Amino acid sequence: MIRQKLSAFAIAWFATFGAVQAQDLMDFFDEDSTPQNVLATFKSNRIVNVQSNETTGAGEMNFVIAHRFGRLNEGAYALWGLDNATMRIAFEYGITDRLMATIGRNTFRKTYESGLKFQLLQQQSGGGSPLGITLYSVVMADGMHWAEPDRVNYFTSRLSFAHQVILTRKMNADLSLALIPSLVHRNIVDTPDDAHDIGVLGFGFRQKISPRVSINGEYHTSSSLSLGVDIETGGHVFQLHLTNSQGMFERAFLADEQGRWQDGDIYFGFNMHRVFQLKH
Amino acid sequence: MIKHLLSIALIGSAGFICQSLTAQQFVTRAAEVHLLSTTPIEDIEGFNRQSSMILDASNGDIAVQVPILGFHFEKALLEEHFNENYMESEKFPKATFRGSVAGWTVMPLEGETMNVLVTGTFTVHGVEVTRDFEGQIRLESGRLIVDCTFEVRPEDHGIEIPGVVRKQIAAIITIDVSAQLSAR
Repeated sequence: MIRQKLSAFAIAWFATFGAVQAQDLMDFFDEDSTPQNVLATFKSNRIVNVQSNETTGAGEMNFVIAHRFGRLNEGAYALWGLDNATMRIAFEYGITDRLMATIGRNTFRKTYESGLKFQLLQQQSGGGSPLGITLYSVVMADGMHWAEPDRVNYFTSRLSFAHQVILTRKMNADLSLALIPSLVHRNIVDTPDDAHDIGVLGFGFRQKISPRVSINGEYHTSSSLSLGVDIETGGHVFQLHLTNSQGMFERAFLADEQGRWQDGDIYFGFNMHRVFQLKH
Repeated sequence: MIKHLLSIALIGSAGFICQSLTAQQFVTRAAEVHLLSTTPIEDIEGFNRQSSMILDASNGDIAVQVPILGFHFEKALLEEHFNENYMESEKFPKATFRGSVAGWTVMPLEGETMNVLVTGTFTVHGVEVTRDFEGQIRLESGRLIVDCTFEVRPEDHGIEIPGVVRKQIAAIITIDVSAQLSAR
């Protein structure tokens, strides 16, 4: 009796064992699919002017120096704009790997800015989210002397705000796309005809041409158009570009008036990023 | 009745013994791979706990798969550079090894450590290299403990390290693999 049962069991067992052995070892790996966060949709926190989905890592400080030289159509006398420059200095700190705080100062209209960026949803490979959703909000303060110092002026008159939803997708190893709806609010506008609230839609892309070099571009319905090259060298990222937006903060390139490419109102410029590890 | 119970117990234990004796494949999906680059300027360390390993105890065949994006570094920027600039992990998402333990005849005995030589095809960054690895295999409470330390030259796998960072990244990377394989 026992013998019978045992042999039956043995047969059943060897049948299973035979089936297992027939598989190739590599088949075991077919089920491996832990979703992984997609890295480096863009190379830095900005595509050219506009924020990308990227944030500085937790405990890291990204130091940004950016220049926009004068207009190309200033001609040879001003070395096609190189004689003049507006500047931006900014510090971008990663509070967590998904939340970043920024402060910056622009020589253009002496504007201070401070913003928060949060990666709400990260694109993942292997069955995760096909899309990255990032939120950015920034408050900007104009630092110019009052145009009419004799009347009563309020600090709030200096402020403007921008809120953005940054939708990104890394299509493949080389191409990344961004769709960026923005809402800009200006507390004070130049003329009664100008709107205080402006909705803007932006498009951006990055096309890698080597592991360390990519072509970047962005267009916003404010008619801001920028094209550039990202070059990465270890801890630095250099972004060189041509743009018709002189200002580097959101109000300037999303709401205010832009130069005209066809008239040569084109600014050559660069953003330089250097990351420091402040906390481990 | 007692006889009946006894027979069930016997069959049960026989089945259990049978299973442990004939379990031919030992597997894990949580093998640990650690990489270390040491230079006078800085040490760079990456950890990966998502690697898979399978060993066929009937013939000593072994296969390993390492998802490159599973490597995590202390600094987010290092992790990005590792994947974007060097491993190109979107084009080459996995490193694999397919080979066999040289002279594999029987399983090690419980508690015994075998020094083994594993030979096979090692693929990193899409570049296949045939090479040998020295390691240890130990049987511990029915599980196979596999340990292996080896060195890799990035240039052997078509990974270029530009001059500007050559002082920070070692020419030879040390890899530690440790895995606990359970019978499948």
